[in-house]
Amino acid sequence: MSASVTSRSNIADPSLAGEGERRIEWARRHSPVLTKLAAERLNDGTLRGRKVAVVVHLEAKTAYLATLLAEAGAQVVAAGSNARSTQDSVCAALVERGIEVHARHGAAPDDFTADLLAVADTGPELVIDDGAELTRRILEHRSELAGELQGVTEETTTGVARLRAMEAAGTLTFPAVAANNARCKHMFDNPYGTGQTTLTAILRLTNLSAAGKRFCVIGYGWVGQGLARRAAGYGGRVTVVELDPVQALRAVMDGYRVARLEDALEDADFVITAAGGTDTLPASAFPHLKDKVVLANAGHQDLEIDVPALGPGTEVRDRVTQHDVAGKRVYLCVGGSLVNIAGGDGNPVEIMDLSFSVQALSVHHLAAGKVPAGLNAFPDELDAVIARTKLESLGVRI
Amino acid sequence: MSMIRDASLAPSGEQKISWVAEWMPVLNLVRDRLRSEGTVDGRRIAVILPIEPKTAYLAAILAEAGAQVSVAFQGVMVHDDVAAGLAARGVEVFGQSGSTHEQELEYFGEVLARRPEVVIDDRADVIRLAHTTHPEVLETLIGASEETTSGVIALRAMEADGTLKVPCIAANDARCKYLFDNRYGTGQSSVNAVLDRTNLLMADKEVVVVGYGWVGKGIAARLRGLAARVTVCEVEPFAALEAYHDGFDVLPLVEACSRAELVISGTGVRCTIGPEAIAALPDGALLANAGAVDDEIDVAGLREQATETRMARDHVEEFVLPDGRSLFVVGAGVVVNLSAGEGHPAEIMDLTFSVQALSAAYLMQNGAGMEPRVHTLPAEIDESIARMKLEALGLRIDTLTPAQEAFLHAWEAFS
Repeated sequence: MSASVTSRSNIADPSLAGEGERRIEWARRHSPVLTKLAAERLNDGTLRGRKVAVVVHLEAKTAYLATLLAEAGAQVVAAGSNARSTQDSVCAALVERGIEVHARHGAAPDDFTADLLAVADTGPELVIDDGAELTRRILEHRSELAGELQGVTEETTTGVARLRAMEAAGTLTFPAVAANNARCKHMFDNPYGTGQTTLTAILRLTNLSAAGKRFCVIGYGWVGQGLARRAAGYGGRVTVVELDPVQALRAVMDGYRVARLEDALEDADFVITAAGGTDTLPASAFPHLKDKVVLANAGHQDLEIDVPALGPGTEVRDRVTQHDVAGKRVYLCVGGSLVNIAGGDGNPVEIMDLSFSVQALSVHHLAAGKVPAGLNAFPDELDAVIARTKLESLGVRI
Repeated sequence: MSMIRDASLAPSGEQKISWVAEWMPVLNLVRDRLRSEGTVDGRRIAVILPIEPKTAYLAAILAEAGAQVSVAFQGVMVHDDVAAGLAARGVEVFGQSGSTHEQELEYFGEVLARRPEVVIDDRADVIRLAHTTHPEVLETLIGASEETTSGVIALRAMEADGTLKVPCIAANDARCKYLFDNRYGTGQSSVNAVLDRTNLLMADKEVVVVGYGWVGKGIAARLRGLAARVTVCEVEPFAALEAYHDGFDVLPLVEACSRAELVISGTGVRCTIGPEAIAALPDGALLANAGAVDDEIDVAGLREQATETRMARDHVEEFVLPDGRSLFVVGAGVVVNLSAGEGHPAEIMDLTFSVQALSAAYLMQNGAGMEPRVHTLPAEIDESIARMKLEALGLRIDTLTPAQEAFLHAWEAFS
């Protein structure tokens, strides 16, 4: 471990490295695709000496991606994309592996921003971003460093929307890749990954039963589709709320009840937001919530549930707070943060094996310098390489 | 005087107990009924169940209804904060995580020394002790109510060879228990515990479910809901056919294991996953036990042959075998939803523990006149629990019309 990496890093507790190592090792074991592609494609010198910032939920899978980039010769600096999902043990292990880290679990908003700006101040050339959390902060607070950016590859639906807004505003003066839109990402990560882990996280946080319960899923994009399927798989009865008529129709054809928000809330035992915007569950809808409803958010933003309007909460279980809303008891999971990652370990390793293969090849592709400024798609041929490598690892032939 | 790890953990335990209390409306009604009728007032009840929030709440409502309650269990399924919280509610608790076998015998000894009139037992552990090493307890013991399938099997064996000296209610055989607890409770919470502890994906996993009783059925259903590929192994031809008709692959264990990524046992039989099955498993396979018997997976055998063991994650132990394969056991091979999770969902245990509380009450009132054999909970009590649950859920059902009733009771041909 380099002394300077340790001194430059800002983490909670270096003594947790042993536990973090175990977690990263487990992620490695279940990431055959990323391991293989890294060996075959990342080590050609393209990334050698390049400054890469990894700003994604800082837990074991992300740490393994960061490690592979460092092994390919990149100078990696890592930070979390959400303070509640940062795992301090993993941060400690990364520092021990010689990677600079600026992230602390539960950091206050100002400290979280300070950590991201510290990453910005290292002058990254390439960014693996999540929710465009680093990119937008560079543009807002460190615009002089925007010129250093040679590429951003974005992980989420929300982040891609933000990049698109930047492009419309004329501030996206560097190449960016919508990694989220790769088929190997959004077709698996969003529905299967988030679908499974959101349900398991809610059930574990509450120790409640899913069978027979009414689940209200708000938003029927890729995430919402996965949530609905898994909620039904756990024996739940699902109602979908969707603004887009085509998506709503799709939910109908998939066999779910589709209703307006206020009607769907009347009998909902669990309400899960997955629309990707803000105010998915606004205060104006609260009067329709039933007593003892459980609220959780599966979208990138912490803003989908109007948490401030819920008023003060008392903790009734670890990471579950009870709020009094007009005499009704409302239970909120992990303060409205994305529940699978702030209330669990995030998406399954096998899913992130695909998502991070996209990110690894995307950053490599950007580093090669042939991507024009503006928002670009992830190349189809790389998408296909990842899918074929995954099929091969499963022993499936087509 | 309780024997627990740390009384200062009580606030955390109390928080967990209060949470489940919110979701156990039927048990609350049962408490109110027992209290107003004085059924268990001043009576001695031993509760031998994993010490986690829901069992703690069962013990607590019995105490609130006036009973003198003592609780004990093996350390692998004791939440120390819950033990402390329960003790703070005035229940005597004997158990702490990581206890030794000797300590556990001492804890059970303490409970038996209180001369319980009714035992709510798990796996018939304490009933067996009362019939072997502590026969004096039988003088004052009215009867016992048993929680698990495997415990009921043991009690029937005792009945068959004439050993059983007190009436026992197979609470497990109440419909309000096995139809929900064994199936939906174990199904959801076992699958969840494995996912939670491993952070792995269930979609597309080759999963072998060993045993297609209520537990196996519940697990297979939830695995299917998570898009796993499920193979069922059975020894019983009807259950195997049932699995086939439910749309699952059916294979002999060793064959199924040769392609398994995860094996979940739910048979209630010792050494279900023995040396042959273990030899057939591919590198990286995960093993978990959802059944009530600790040794369904031959973990001792694995440990003996392993060249190295380490904790790969919390509650996931890696066994490196001489041939280079690594196998991973979740939750130490002990019933995984409790050893690596918080057990069944609260609403399910609302039913189970209402069965237990009313079984205990029934024994208090009627046990003296009951034969020393295995009984089932009277159907009308079972049904009353189901009706209370329906009402708590706000669900209404229909009743037979007098004409329909007459039809069902008539034997003559209708013209």
